Amino acid sequence: MADDPDRRSFLKLATCGLGGVVGLATAAPALSLVLTPSKLQTVTTPKDPIDIGDAAGAKTWAQWRKVDVIAPEMRDGWTTAHHIVLGAAYVRYAKSQFEALSGVCPHLGCAVGWEGSSFLCPCHDSRFSSDGAKQTGPSQRGLDPLPIEVKDGRLQLTWVRYKLDTGKREPA
Amino acid sequence: MSSRREQLAAWWRERVGGERAPSLVPGVSYAYVFGWTLVLLFIVEAVTGAALSAFYSPSATDAWASVAYVQDRMHGGWFVRGLHVHAASALVIVSGVHLMQAAVFGAYKRPRELTWWLGILLLLLILGFTITGYVLRWDQAGFWANQVEVGIAAGTPLIGGLIRKILIGGNDYGNLTLTRFYMLHVVLLPAIVLLAMIGHIVLARRHGATPHWTRPESDEAVPRWPQQSFRNVVMMAFVFALLVAYTLHTHGADLAAPADPSAAYDARPLWYFRWLYALRTIAGSAEQIVAMIAPAIVVGLWFALPLLDRKPGRDPRRRLPFIGAVAGLFVVVAALTATSFLSDGRDAALAKREHEAQLKADRARALAATNGVPVTGAQDVFTTVPMWRARTLWAQHCADCHDADSKDRKGPIITVGHGTRAWIAGFLKDPNGAAFWGKTKLSKTDDAMKAVDIDGGDLDDLVEAIYAQSGASDVDAAKRDRGKAVFDKACTDCHSLDEGVAGGSGPGLGTMGSRDWYTSFISNPKSPVHMGEQSEMPRFDRDLSIIDRDALAGYLLWLRAATKNDLAKLGPL
Repeated sequence: MADDPDRRSFLKLATCGLGGVVGLATAAPALSLVLTPSKLQTVTTPKDPIDIGDAAGAKTWAQWRKVDVIAPEMRDGWTTAHHIVLGAAYVRYAKSQFEALSGVCPHLGCAVGWEGSSFLCPCHDSRFSSDGAKQTGPSQRGLDPLPIEVKDGRLQLTWVRYKLDTGKREPA
Repeated sequence: MSSRREQLAAWWRERVGGERAPSLVPGVSYAYVFGWTLVLLFIVEAVTGAALSAFYSPSATDAWASVAYVQDRMHGGWFVRGLHVHAASALVIVSGVHLMQAAVFGAYKRPRELTWWLGILLLLLILGFTITGYVLRWDQAGFWANQVEVGIAAGTPLIGGLIRKILIGGNDYGNLTLTRFYMLHVVLLPAIVLLAMIGHIVLARRHGATPHWTRPESDEAVPRWPQQSFRNVVMMAFVFALLVAYTLHTHGADLAAPADPSAAYDARPLWYFRWLYALRTIAGSAEQIVAMIAPAIVVGLWFALPLLDRKPGRDPRRRLPFIGAVAGLFVVVAALTATSFLSDGRDAALAKREHEAQLKADRARALAATNGVPVTGAQDVFTTVPMWRARTLWAQHCADCHDADSKDRKGPIITVGHGTRAWIAGFLKDPNGAAFWGKTKLSKTDDAMKAVDIDGGDLDDLVEAIYAQSGASDVDAAKRDRGKAVFDKACTDCHSLDEGVAGGSGPGLGTMGSRDWYTSFISNPKSPVHMGEQSEMPRFDRDLSIIDRDALAGYLLWLRAATKNDLAKLGPL
């Protein structure tokens, strides 16, 4: 009776099945929890324009000027913080209008630097002209322009992160 | 005595099991020492890592600060952290040697394929440890290197975006990035490594060490203990001594300035990934493909070796194409690594940027050690310098018109000694001198103040009376009172010494030089009490809060008593 082959194979199946269910019931919620942040916006950055200073004073910026883009408020997971540096933008006043370029290299996201006549990304030597156009190096596109406007005498810049290492420019 | 010992042995056998047959090796050799050296290095990593984890705080605000604390404030902290970081390099090197020894001995051949594959897996896991560990310090080096590494992973076709989100825990770098790399580094990877290592060692024991190719496979003759074990220990001690010496020599591992998403940084991968870095540079526009394909080729060749070279013979001279391919890869990797370091070494602009980055790192760590790191984040460590707020405001709003070396100066020079007796005396004798009103429009007009025609004791007394307005505690009362008499005779046509009262045609001088007076002047220099409409200086009561204006006033008071040396000692902003 106890050695009945059918019974034995049922018991084997049941043991593995029950054990598997218990294992899965533990692993599935744990794994799902760990993957949850990938579907969330864990770090919130303001979509509204950010005040970066007085517009009248900035009209002397014929050359690119590095401006720290500072979020008035930022949520990062469980914390909230004020005046957090999101990154750098380069701003200039040319042909009687303001222009802004993101300081984030479109290649792999390092911070680019203004070298006096061109932009250089120090990570992989991507070089961009003074208009932000791609010159040499691995970047597939030029530096990303950022929306900038003057409102009530203040410079307002909108911070956008774009997808990296693509030829086409689309928001991340 | 001996029976007691036998009793104990019997007790143990009954509960744990009988004695095993002694482990044998096919001839004692230094070729077999690397496996145990790797075990030692893993143990060093586990012990030092456990100690470090008792300090580490995986949050975007605290991570750098906690690492800096261990590095610079804890006795021996730098040594433990140095061992932890440099032992990873040692693991990579010794793994490479172990792998080469196994390749030359043909240890990947039947029936040892699984041992070989587990070994390759272990090497990849070691590299995984270094990547997940490098970002934890959250300094410029680790932060930007990780951006690039995750960026490469994100370049994977189709699922790249998802991989990035899973790796960094959301849409952008932040707290969750650190908690999950920490989890990978201290929980998941150690667990997998432990399992893989047990499997690797159990299988290696089961099949025994691969004999020299001149000996037959079954020639397991010599007991491992103690001859082979002694050689193992010699190599372990040698590697450990080198590790300690290197750690002492470098004073532990480096730590750059806190991660700053706005500051350009010359990110470089850890040295064992430099060959890939060099390859990407050479590949130019094809680098995206190269970054994926090159490691796949190298790892793929390692994995495929047992499948490609299937003949039973182990003599390397008869396996030249395979040994050659493996050695060739090593040479290429070494050459690319050397190229990368050499080309960086020739780049003078890079050296300058790296020097500046080093200075910034030194400052951040010195400030963290003396002042602590603000809870708002490691970046804010730079705000802990004395009078940071006032000096930042000064640089933004005041320096253009008042710094001695400003090209656009429009007002008097304001620096150390401003408002002292000597400064007042200098001003009275030459109000339109270059250091005083010389750069103002006012000085060119008829309304400009004329030099005071008073000398000797009378001048000293007048200076004392004006200086006394600041409320300074070192005023000579007798001189001040005599000075007031001089003032009443010579100055009252234009000025007044009564608090808050404007002069006839010049500014009121009551309480001049006190903290409240400075705040009031900065708030609105065009006030009738101060310079009136002739002042070119803008009012700041709209742009700066009263706290900021007061901070500036405090800084000006500090400047009065300070020397150039004091100013230099504040350090840069």
